[in-house]
Amino acid sequence: MSVVISLNLLTATYFSENALLPGLVKGEYDMDTEARSLLVELEAEAASHPHTLPSAWLLSRFHRLSLDAYTHNFTLNYPLGSSSKFTGRNVYGILRAARSSSMEAVMLTVPYRPPDSVHPTTAPGLALMLSLAKFFRRQKYWAKDIIFLVTEHEQLGAQAWLEAYHGASCGLPGVLDHGDLGGRGGAIQAAINLEIHASKIGYIDIKVAGLNGQLPNLDLVNLVHRMCSKEGVRHTFNNKEKVYKNNWWATWSRGIHTLVSMVLTQATGMPNGNHGLFHRFGIEAVTLEGFEKVGRGSPATFFQVGRVLEGLFRSLNNLLERFHQSFFFYLLPDTDRYISIGLYMPCLVMLAGALIIKAFTLWIKVQNNISIAEMESPSSDENDEEDKTVNLNVMLVGTAVFINHLQGVLLFSGTQHFTRITDAYSTENLLYGSYLIGCLLTIVSPYIIRLHKKTDNQWVLLNIIALLELATVLLAVGMNNFSLAFLTAVIYVPPALWLQSSNNRWYKKLLWIVLHPFFMLSWVVLGFTAVTFPELEPLQLLTKAFVANKQALVLCAVDSYIYASWTFNVATIFFLPTWSLFWQLTQSHSESIEATFDEEETAKKQQ
Amino acid sequence: MEVLVLLEYLVATVIRFWLSKSDYNKLIADRVEISTPLNSWKRVTEGAALYNVGTSPYLGDMFHDNPLWLVAFNWMLQNVPQYITYIFILSDMMTAHLLFLTAQKFVGNLLTRQINEQKNYAKVSRQLLVSPEDVRMAPIFVVTAYLFNPYTVLTCAAHATTVFANLFLAIMLYATVNGHILLCCTALALSAQQAMYTVILIVPVCMYLAQGKQNKTFYMAMIATTFSTILCGLIYLSYHIAGSWDFVYATYGFILTVPDLRPNIGLFWYFFTEMFEHFRVLFLCAFQMNAAVLYLGPLAFRLHAEPMLLSTSLITLIAIFKSYPSLGDVGFYLALLPMWKHLFHYMQQGFIVSCFFIITSVLGPTVWHLWIYNRSANANFYFGVTLAFATAQIFLVTDLLFAYIKREYAVMHGLPRTIDGKEAKLVLESSNF
Repeated sequence: MSVVISLNLLTATYFSENALLPGLVKGEYDMDTEARSLLVELEAEAASHPHTLPSAWLLSRFHRLSLDAYTHNFTLNYPLGSSSKFTGRNVYGILRAARSSSMEAVMLTVPYRPPDSVHPTTAPGLALMLSLAKFFRRQKYWAKDIIFLVTEHEQLGAQAWLEAYHGASCGLPGVLDHGDLGGRGGAIQAAINLEIHASKIGYIDIKVAGLNGQLPNLDLVNLVHRMCSKEGVRHTFNNKEKVYKNNWWATWSRGIHTLVSMVLTQATGMPNGNHGLFHRFGIEAVTLEGFEKVGRGSPATFFQVGRVLEGLFRSLNNLLERFHQSFFFYLLPDTDRYISIGLYMPCLVMLAGALIIKAFTLWIKVQNNISIAEMESPSSDENDEEDKTVNLNVMLVGTAVFINHLQGVLLFSGTQHFTRITDAYSTENLLYGSYLIGCLLTIVSPYIIRLHKKTDNQWVLLNIIALLELATVLLAVGMNNFSLAFLTAVIYVPPALWLQSSNNRWYKKLLWIVLHPFFMLSWVVLGFTAVTFPELEPLQLLTKAFVANKQALVLCAVDSYIYASWTFNVATIFFLPTWSLFWQLTQSHSESIEATFDEEETAKKQQ
Repeated sequence: MEVLVLLEYLVATVIRFWLSKSDYNKLIADRVEISTPLNSWKRVTEGAALYNVGTSPYLGDMFHDNPLWLVAFNWMLQNVPQYITYIFILSDMMTAHLLFLTAQKFVGNLLTRQINEQKNYAKVSRQLLVSPEDVRMAPIFVVTAYLFNPYTVLTCAAHATTVFANLFLAIMLYATVNGHILLCCTALALSAQQAMYTVILIVPVCMYLAQGKQNKTFYMAMIATTFSTILCGLIYLSYHIAGSWDFVYATYGFILTVPDLRPNIGLFWYFFTEMFEHFRVLFLCAFQMNAAVLYLGPLAFRLHAEPMLLSTSLITLIAIFKSYPSLGDVGFYLALLPMWKHLFHYMQQGFIVSCFFIITSVLGPTVWHLWIYNRSANANFYFGVTLAFATAQIFLVTDLLFAYIKREYAVMHGLPRTIDGKEAKLVLESSNF
């Protein structure tokens, strides 16, 4: 019921407009010719360094602009399998502010992709950044340092640089050796990450989803959209442009579509661009991804995009305090509409509330059973067996809960060791295999650890604990990553409400086993593969999904170790044990004391 | 059963020892919910260091414990630094055992009194009366609630000085039920040296000890005089140790004027950061009265027959409303509740309150993380959670008091809801679950 209500609420959400911080000054950037020649030069340079960052060339470029330029080396000790090392190098230059001491800074970053990278090139973005650096160098109004950063190895470089800048280590100690920096600016207020794939740009997509579902301040997002509109650059959110239609249905369905795609992106807990790693350090950041123009119509050139960035940085330069006014918790159904936390949180709270209400009714039932039994026991002279069915054996239930959680913790803490058992198989296979065994263990464990039989109230108590744990975990996760909690709630709450404390029918067991967190991962990966490669045959699709599934598991674990993403931790330490608590319930059999009492009641009534 | 209790002590010691020695210790000790400016062990070490170099630790804003405690802690840090963990664990175990003995004695007394008064009682269902089973089980529940409550476990692992405050309160309760006036007054005076608010507990102590005495007023006056003498003596001793009266402002003044607005689980910090400065004195008076004396009069009148319940509810109210509360205080009064097992039948909000406790305990650190580390949430989120936590505690204490009054009525006048002489209960009809 609660699900329906929440869906209704979501659809009925009214979209409130907000507009802040427009670029008031006229753009002056005119170095697009420079940018184009830089791009040609860069492409020639890149061709001679097919695997690595052309650091010498970049350094010379920064030096020529008399910026403080440094390189930054970092090492990754791969956390899984037989430990292997990877090294990388970032290059950055700092433009010192003319009008203040280096107290604050803003950043422009580009992830460098060598020609052999699987991802589309970002060289045009880099060329644009260099031309902007030259342009910014000549302006006198900067009150904040501007840091130009070129990172290697996608998110790894950005993470290492940020850790080195703040002298902190986020992931497992010893995994990412962040090295040291030659020079620093002030406290970073905001960062813009550029991923421009072509010099003729069709549209710019603005990406917000960060690590663990954290989002940048809405003001910054609005600012980017506003600047794009001002310079006439087509801009999208999740690749959906704003369309003006009179048809409310079209607008609404498009909004829902965008919203769902945002929720799906955020729910993974992984950033969809380098900007996502900045949020943890209190730095507001977004990614601007520029796609190549296809089809007819005039493209946006370096000239326009350069002016967008100029406007952005001049606005950021005006900041007196760090971003704190607008929302940090929101969902975006469109480029200029938002849903605030006050509107979406009640949906999750209602779903969790349904669990708590069910737990409460169960509790009242237990109380009733006890008091009914106590009323009858004097007449039956302290029947021992009666007492056994009625007393809540907290010890046994506690042990069951403890064992279930222990399984999760063991599985999680064993992750690294599983991959080091043998060298005969690849890390992926080892990890997948060991997790499969671990999860099969959770499935068979109710048969091994049998609770005391005939104790109906114990099952009810276990059910109450499971319901409360699910509700609490959902709320706590929802505060951090609403999307993840909401999707989990939508999938798990209705069956959790549907399950009984004992004597569940076979279809309920089947349903619950299908919902095993480990299998859920498979279903999600399968669905994703099917959507991405619709042309595949079913068998091919299955094999592809299987391989992708193994990779996804490894990636989840690695992300947890390097970036301290907690999706994997929460899934193994909380979701899995909660699942197995419910699973234990589905496997329980008891002569329902409620049923016998109900029968007696009806018999009495009939008399 | 004795074996079970011993086993509990053993397991609880192992858990506390493991947490104290593990890497989590620092993490736990830095939690604002557990360590406040008043009870943080870090500040104690700081104060002891200052004391050793000859600087008065009360001149700065670091140390707020009493000189007596300072000397004791300093001695510990100087002479037995490697055993400090053991001292904390031992104190906690002693607290637990004293509570066990207190509960045993107290519930035993209840039973005796009930047998004496039973002829006045209405014919009631047996679950309303204290049974011999309760005498056996209630102390075990009390000791379990103290030993395995995460709040007390974490407090002990964090080496918060609340452990000692709890120990003195436990000694006080133990001495009260056993009628040791001098021990009781000394323990209470020592506890009041740190927590200050506990001074008001002298009222229930007087009432309890004077029960059944010939000349009640005289007796109570005598106890009060003993207590004041000891208290004054201790304060003078503190003055003697500290060498000046500076410590009064740094300890009692610190508790009363609330200059440190670091967030904690209490209600002071948020209001006092938000309000205009010129209202500060007004609200300070209002909040402090609420914490200390507001409930004393009415509750003392209503509960004059049951001073122990007065103690319990005052300890609870102090833990909720005092200026720097910590989870250690909450854990202590939660352990006292099973003594009132016979009232549980009339308590209606137990489930809701425990849900609140669980959810706020999880959400508190979550929103703290969002506020302090992620910088995406703000103080309102954290205050919202602590407010919910305080509300749950208030529900709990009112529920307990209501239950007492309802039971008292039911015992004297019979159960109000009876059908054909049998107890009728309101049953929630449900068939789906």
